[in-house]
Amino acid sequence: MSRLILQSAVSGLLVGGMYGLVALGLALAFGVLKVLNVAHGELLMLGGYAAFFAFTTWGLDPFVSLPLVFAALFALGVVLYQVLFRFVTRFDVETRIKNSLLLSFGLVLILQALAVRFFTADERTISTSYSSMGFTVGLVRIPLVRLAGLIVAVIAAVALEWLLRKSRFGHAVRATAEDWTRAALTGIDVGRVYLVAFAISAGLAAMAGSLIALGYSVSPSIGLGWTLKALIVVVLAGLGSMRGLVLAGLFLGLIESLAAVWVGGPYREVVALVVFILVLSLRPQGFFGRAHV
Amino acid sequence: MLAVEALEVAYGDLQVVWGASFEVPERSIVAILGSNGAGKTTTLLALMGLLPSIGGSVTFKGESLIGVPTHVMVERGLVMIPEERPTFATMTVADNLAVGAHARRARALRDQSLREVLEIFPVLAERLGQPAGTLSGGERQMLGLAKALMARPDLLVLDEPSLGLAPIVVESIFDVIRSIRDRGVSVLMVEQHVEMTLDIADHAYVLELGRIVADGTSAELASDTRVRDAYLSP
Repeated sequence: MSRLILQSAVSGLLVGGMYGLVALGLALAFGVLKVLNVAHGELLMLGGYAAFFAFTTWGLDPFVSLPLVFAALFALGVVLYQVLFRFVTRFDVETRIKNSLLLSFGLVLILQALAVRFFTADERTISTSYSSMGFTVGLVRIPLVRLAGLIVAVIAAVALEWLLRKSRFGHAVRATAEDWTRAALTGIDVGRVYLVAFAISAGLAAMAGSLIALGYSVSPSIGLGWTLKALIVVVLAGLGSMRGLVLAGLFLGLIESLAAVWVGGPYREVVALVVFILVLSLRPQGFFGRAHV
Repeated sequence: MLAVEALEVAYGDLQVVWGASFEVPERSIVAILGSNGAGKTTTLLALMGLLPSIGGSVTFKGESLIGVPTHVMVERGLVMIPEERPTFATMTVADNLAVGAHARRARALRDQSLREVLEIFPVLAERLGQPAGTLSGGERQMLGLAKALMARPDLLVLDEPSLGLAPIVVESIFDVIRSIRDRGVSVLMVEQHVEMTLDIADHAYVLELGRIVADGTSAELASDTRVRDAYLSP
């Protein structure tokens, strides 16, 4: 019994790292542009397919293609911002959230339909020579590719945090996130900050997609599920801390898989949503977020 | 330096500023005085391109500012400090100052500017690692000024720098504004604090219900009976 619990806990933490990585991009777009992009999971799905086809057609290892997939979806993010989300950012915050929800939900439908049309509805997994490798610590088996996914998630969070804290661009992003009017008065080109932040958000989704295609699987319909997890993680963590998002992701993965053991498989999502509601009502700024100054 | 001609501003159907004209010569402090709701902040926001103007012209250093994006104005040397919360509360004092030098014109001079502003505001030097949100109101206003100076402005626009501050703090802020003018930076300030403002301003305009109703040198306005009756205590 304790072996089952330990194994579930580890699996939960590994998938939780993915939750955290997906949440990073979602939180970046929401925190900076005040755009709630529910198509974030679809961008992830496209990233997963990009890595899958790079592997099957060119034999590119998913860790080699990771920067390329990031770049491809960064570029798609630029296009989506210029064509769609740019117009949303002209409104006040509340209208932005409503309009971006409508817009990105439409995008969800379009991208899913296109994925079914071009990639078929089959589930795909990147199976490399090392896909089934892993190692055993005590009683627990740790699959290599999933552990690598968690490590990439942590690296991405640390890198993003560093970028936001230390770089000139990062200062501009934080200033814009706090108040775009004052950012413009400081000489920051707010439109450009929005563009780049949204593109990075799309690139991060794609990175998560690659790792999910490697450690789990992709199909055209996986997007909304991951978006929902990421939304829960953002609420758990609060905005403002990248490390906090990864920690909240780990926490969500952990309680989900422990709930599956203790309460029963079908209830894993229910338990996660109960925790979500508890945090929303008891600590609305999240574990790591700041209450508004 | 700055010339505003017949500026008209409206929020939707509600016109707030009616043909306001004023100018800011080089190396001078110009004040726009008026009570709450006179349209002072609206005028500044339209000037900075944050509200659309429906008529009139704005010329800065000989070039029109109509339709110019706000961040480009900063690049040209026109920097505004907004009312109330002039700083980024979630960022440290040091990061606020760093982001103040975001404009390309200010980047190369960043270290020099930092030394200069810390000389003017020594209190900030002790608070560099602290989030701006934890500063007192006076310190925040000083950080706002310091952050704006980091952008190396030619014209500094201040929206009610005295708002919510104790009179003694206002006095020290106003001293700094005067020293900024003496360094060669022009200042356009909007104020309700008429008596103290006339002390430091070279020229002032009185705005009432969106119209300029009086203007003159500070001495002229201080002795103007209408201004005295409306704004100055007997």
